[in-house]
Amino acid sequence: MMMKPAITTVALLCALWTICIVSAEDGEENMTPYFQSRAFNVPILAGWGDQSGEDFAQFQLAEAEATIRAAIVPTDDIIAAVGAELSDAFEIEVGQPSFQGKVNLADGTWSVLIYDYGDATTASVMARLAAAGTVVISFVEQDPAARTALLIMAQTDDALDDPTPEIAIAVESIAGVSLSELNRAESIRLPSGEWTVYTGASMSAMGMVFGNDSYVALREGAPGDLAALADAYNRTLLGFFITPDNSHYLALGLAVVFVVFGALVGSLFWRERSLRKELALLAQLAGEDG
Amino acid sequence: MEEKTKSLPTDLRMEANPPPRLLRVLTVVTILGFAGTLALGLKVAGTDIQQGEIQRIFYIHMPSFFGAFTAFGLTVVGGVIYLARKSERWDRIALAGVEVGLAFSLINLLTGSIWARPIWNTWWTWDPRLTSAAIMCLTYAAYLMLRAGIDDPGKRRAFMSVYGILAFVTVLITLFIIRIVPETIHPVIVGASPQNAQGGFEATSGVVIALVPSLLLWLTLMPITIIWHRVRLEARIEKLHQLKLQALSE
Amino acid sequence: MKTPFINSVAAIIGKDLRAEMRARELVSVMALFALLSILVFSFALELDREAREEAVSGVLWVTLIFASLLGFNRSMAQERDQGNLDALLLAPISRAAIFVGKLLGNFIFTLIVALAILPLMTALYGLALLDGWIIVTTTLGIFGFATIGTLLATMTVQTQAREALLPIAMLPIALPFLLTAVRATKGVLSGAPAAEWQGPLGMLAAITVIYLVLCLLLYEYVLEE
Repeated sequence: MMMKPAITTVALLCALWTICIVSAEDGEENMTPYFQSRAFNVPILAGWGDQSGEDFAQFQLAEAEATIRAAIVPTDDIIAAVGAELSDAFEIEVGQPSFQGKVNLADGTWSVLIYDYGDATTASVMARLAAAGTVVISFVEQDPAARTALLIMAQTDDALDDPTPEIAIAVESIAGVSLSELNRAESIRLPSGEWTVYTGASMSAMGMVFGNDSYVALREGAPGDLAALADAYNRTLLGFFITPDNSHYLALGLAVVFVVFGALVGSLFWRERSLRKELALLAQLAGEDG
Repeated sequence: MEEKTKSLPTDLRMEANPPPRLLRVLTVVTILGFAGTLALGLKVAGTDIQQGEIQRIFYIHMPSFFGAFTAFGLTVVGGVIYLARKSERWDRIALAGVEVGLAFSLINLLTGSIWARPIWNTWWTWDPRLTSAAIMCLTYAAYLMLRAGIDDPGKRRAFMSVYGILAFVTVLITLFIIRIVPETIHPVIVGASPQNAQGGFEATSGVVIALVPSLLLWLTLMPITIIWHRVRLEARIEKLHQLKLQALSE
Repeated sequence: MKTPFINSVAAIIGKDLRAEMRARELVSVMALFALLSILVFSFALELDREAREEAVSGVLWVTLIFASLLGFNRSMAQERDQGNLDALLLAPISRAAIFVGKLLGNFIFTLIVALAILPLMTALYGLALLDGWIIVTTTLGIFGFATIGTLLATMTVQTQAREALLPIAMLPIALPFLLTAVRATKGVLSGAPAAEWQGPLGMLAAITVIYLVLCLLLYEYVLEE
């Protein structure tokens, strides 16, 4: 009976807070599902086959014979890490890269490397140093009828909102084709953003400005899958996080919670015990008196 | 008279006066609920992409503050009713509220500090909200010290009721400090974060699934169950004290 | 028959003022403490011109709150030691009148000290502390301190540890006053636009009113017997 006002108050408070929490949530969240390993997270690419393992993420688009893979190689030598990653995962023995560049992104400086463009197998790799070694995100395309390269370059002119200069550089230096041989087509909208498109007789190229950098994708042969590949690779890069393993802090936090609880509940038991002791003493004294 | 002193002590044993059924049910439900919400937070909710595993401590960090809020709120309720009716029972509730609330706010403070180490790269920063939470803890520690310093039981109960009501202001300040001093880096999960908050994350559906049950448990069952046990114990301790005085005066 | 409220309040203030005029132990102790505190701060913080502007409102308020702690303790201890408290309780006046009387007495003494150290700090630190709005803030803040200080000192003076407990009991509860008063003082001092410091000042006034009402309601329970 005495507890009634308290219980009513608490019940009201509960209702209030539930309303707050529920109203703070704006409906259904459309979160990209993520691949999670101990060290990093990569968005899972919808429509791609998921071949991820314990400590690497790997997605394959069978019809394009293309694979995107992210892993951390425990070495500080970027070139060695990329070589090891490509030979272990794809059995590609790389020689000199046909294109090499560096780009500064929010999470650090990435090396951009394109290998064996012109052969049946083309590898486009981004790599950067991290605490646990070298992060390597590789895109490997093994369709004998096509050659694909995906890369990111610093913009030559920050003020420009058009990736054309970077597309020109990439087309020229990787495929040896002048941009003037291609025609500008209508730009297309993909989940990653608005892409500028150039097409030619045997080659197509796409580009998108992101911050002060441009994403560029080029492909010789059937152009069909280029948009899907460029978009998927791009989303992998944008969604890539390296989270240091901090589960030991979680363990410490839980330990502290249990220690404080233990102290609280323990103090109840301890006081109960000393109450009994004193009672026994009192009873004894009363007995002696009597 | 002798008959009375002999028979009374046995009345004080817990076995002689077992907890009511509701309390026993509450205790079991609270323990199961705590295990359940821990499982929700540790196993069911996804790992935060940016903060990693440590983000899960949030499912205890925030609810523990609201548990303290309930406990300290009961101290206010107990204080007001004690002053109005002079019923010792409500003073015991007020005291139990302070002890439980203090333990909960300690959990809140410590888990926050442990979270801050990997996310803010420091154990402690003199942020307004952290400072006011620490002051809240000290206020209630002062309550216990002050209580221990007053010998006369009637005065003690009346003074501590007054102090318990005043002390609640520090709880409200901790809750609303972000609106008073906007330069906090403490993130706000419900509602808009201040501009410079660091370490926030969105309350997505996965987070809500783990957070809401935990919040409700800490807000209601957890403080109420422990406070109830503490109140019952305190009643027997007070009776024992009376008996001791009685025995001494004989 | 009870003495009218205003008359009893006036009588209590008058009594405190007369006692202070004769003994001069309250204001002089508080003022000396405040002066020492300001000097100690300026040595301890090695305040240069720039640091002073940042720190001076904090120095002012920390000094004021410790000085008022000293004063409230002393004032209540006098009441108790000389048996005045019991006499007041026996007198046919309401508890609220005793509270308001003691509150106003404490407020007046602390305000005198505050108004004395403002020009002193202006001279020592070379900052314009004698601003109308700073005086308003100081008056409000001191009134706030006096409100909770009078209530809590009445309590702690009846405990075993006595003087030692007042700072522990009062500092956390006085925090809202301290927080808003420091912000308002800082805002006025830095010449910020009025919109920036009117918020904290309004909040200070609101908190003062809330605490005043709370203390008026609760005072009768700390003065029993």
